[in-house]
Amino acid sequence: MSATTAISGTASPPVAAGTDWAGLARRSKAAQRRRSFLLHASLFVCSLPVIVPYVWLLTLAFSPRGAPVGTTILWRALVVILPAIVVWLVMAASPRGNTRALGGLVVVVALALLAVLVGPLISLENWQFLFNPDVVAEIKRGVGDNDYPSIWLAAGNSLLLAGGEMVVVCTVATLAAYYLSRFEFYGRGTFLKGLMVLHAFPVYTLVIPIFLLMYWVGMLDTIVGVVLVIATLELPFAIYIMKGFFDAVPWEIEMSAMADGASRRQAFWLVVLPQVKVGIAAIAIFAFLRGWEEYVFVATLLLSKTNWVMSLFLFFFAQDTMGLDHGLVSAIAVFYLLPSLILYAFTQRYLTQVSFSGIKG
Amino acid sequence: MARIELVGLEKAWGSVTAVDDVNLAVEDGEFVALLGPSGCGKTTTLFMLAGIYKPTAGRLLFDGHEVNDVEAKDRNIGIVFQSYALYPHMTVRDNIAFPLRFKSTSQAERQRRVEEAAALVRVQELLDRRPSQLSGGQQQRVALARALVKQPQLLLLDEPLSNLDATLRLTMRSEIKQLQAKLGLTTILVTHDQLEATTMADRIVCMNKGRIEQVDGPDDLYARPNSLFVAGFIGAPPINLLPGVAGPAGVSVGEASLALSGKAAGAVTLGIRPENITVGGPLPAEVVQIEPMGREVLYLLRTTMGEIKALEAGTVARWHIGERPGITFQPDATLLFDEAGRRVAGANVAIRNQ
Repeated sequence: MSATTAISGTASPPVAAGTDWAGLARRSKAAQRRRSFLLHASLFVCSLPVIVPYVWLLTLAFSPRGAPVGTTILWRALVVILPAIVVWLVMAASPRGNTRALGGLVVVVALALLAVLVGPLISLENWQFLFNPDVVAEIKRGVGDNDYPSIWLAAGNSLLLAGGEMVVVCTVATLAAYYLSRFEFYGRGTFLKGLMVLHAFPVYTLVIPIFLLMYWVGMLDTIVGVVLVIATLELPFAIYIMKGFFDAVPWEIEMSAMADGASRRQAFWLVVLPQVKVGIAAIAIFAFLRGWEEYVFVATLLLSKTNWVMSLFLFFFAQDTMGLDHGLVSAIAVFYLLPSLILYAFTQRYLTQVSFSGIKG
Repeated sequence: MARIELVGLEKAWGSVTAVDDVNLAVEDGEFVALLGPSGCGKTTTLFMLAGIYKPTAGRLLFDGHEVNDVEAKDRNIGIVFQSYALYPHMTVRDNIAFPLRFKSTSQAERQRRVEEAAALVRVQELLDRRPSQLSGGQQQRVALARALVKQPQLLLLDEPLSNLDATLRLTMRSEIKQLQAKLGLTTILVTHDQLEATTMADRIVCMNKGRIEQVDGPDDLYARPNSLFVAGFIGAPPINLLPGVAGPAGVSVGEASLALSGKAAGAVTLGIRPENITVGGPLPAEVVQIEPMGREVLYLLRTTMGEIKALEAGTVARWHIGERPGITFQPDATLLFDEAGRRVAGANVAIRNQ
């Protein structure tokens, strides 16, 4: 008895009678809202310099043909979008519970304003290049050579390059990482350190040796050659990522599969590989984007126009039409950007799971 | 089902010998436990049996046939890992059916055997769930079903209960034992928990530093340990071990001089289990500490032999701290170990009449 009274007498802090619990809760909630508002507002401000140029690019791509470089659409769009975002931030921080209906209203109003202010200025003329390869020739008005390849050929080459590189990287990195993760062999530690060094190595110093190498083996000016080069450069990073994923797969399930009657290869296919699907997806996306965005090596190693990829197409087109048609260049840039954006949008979930944690030497 | 023989089995990793000259025969249908502290080589032995590790020396015989070079997948062994090692991307049904994939069984037969194995461990309702949706005990059962579904000739259990909570451990212990008896499976259990070994196994193999210390039934292992290691490892609360010197005049332990029957000389260790010490006797002893344990009371006593723990039946302590009840013990409950730590057979000590 005496023990229990002693404990209850000392353990709980003194609470004044008539404490305003509801008031305390209210204050805590308000503080939380303030913090979240400040956080979102500052993040929004920081991201403005990144977002605005892209919005500008977008507005240029949809401006009328032959219009001078203008910011009219950009400013009008921002005049609507920025206040809408501010209103949304304030609403999110306001104490009222259900703001969904109000939020919908804001979106509708903003869209209506956009339609009124920006709608009349928008034009799809710049997008003719998608269907009419001669557009380029027309613009150039006989300056230089006119035999530009179709943009679809360039897009196809880019797809081939990025896809091929993705397949090579995924296959090689997965197998190599599995071996590095599971087997002990002479020079394993050095190999792992070497991977890190290779990753830190500035690859563009290799442009000339790789050019000569490709020339000697007869792969200069072939997509396959570029696929092999970029895949090789991407591999150290991919192997490292994959090794982390394999390290996280417990030994036991592999042993268990083998005791269950699977061969080592079957255990790998049926039991281990499904555990690292996320890792394969992540390196596949990284590899694809690397191939899609590559410029330096395609510019050096691809010579003929039929081998042009999107980055080369955009570069040469921007050069040849310098000062003549920004709208068209912007439209092509947006067209080039879209696959990356779509890929990011759908695969964010996988990319955010990649980390260097759990990597052992 | 098979008779398993290990002949001079050895496994070394470079200069480290994990398992050293292990000789053991497990009869058909027998339940044997490999018991020892972590790092004693019991799991390495298990993995050699499973075919995951290859022995560096010695022979491994299943029904008289050497299987040293037979791959794990061809040994027809069921194994349950400490972590259960269920395949996280498969449903419980697919997990249990996995071993049948590699056998030429028809779809219907496979279905039937999965249901049967699931019924055996009572997880029929969980067949369409994923391992991540199961509790520890359920995962354990599924792992057991997966090990049993292929009707293995040998069942290996690697610390199967150590990830379960205390109550569940008790239930699973008796369930596994019943199942083993029902199916008549040759079973080898690896554990560091003596209670698990003594309650489940017919015979216990006590291992230390890669070697077998003793192979015996649970009662013999407890009452007649061959070595100081076994005596100290088996039993909770642990046995009292007291250093002493044996001579023609008897054994002197601490300040006490005890009578010796049997042959012993030089430095010895006297072992007496706490429950064999009776509080209240001629040997001077003072109560230092009292630990009520429910059914029993554990006393820590300062005696002329040194500090001794004594276990007494009853829920309430009969003595208080500071009292001097003295102690006594029966001579045939004493164990005497020589300098090398081997038990001296037939040697007992007794309190001299004063």
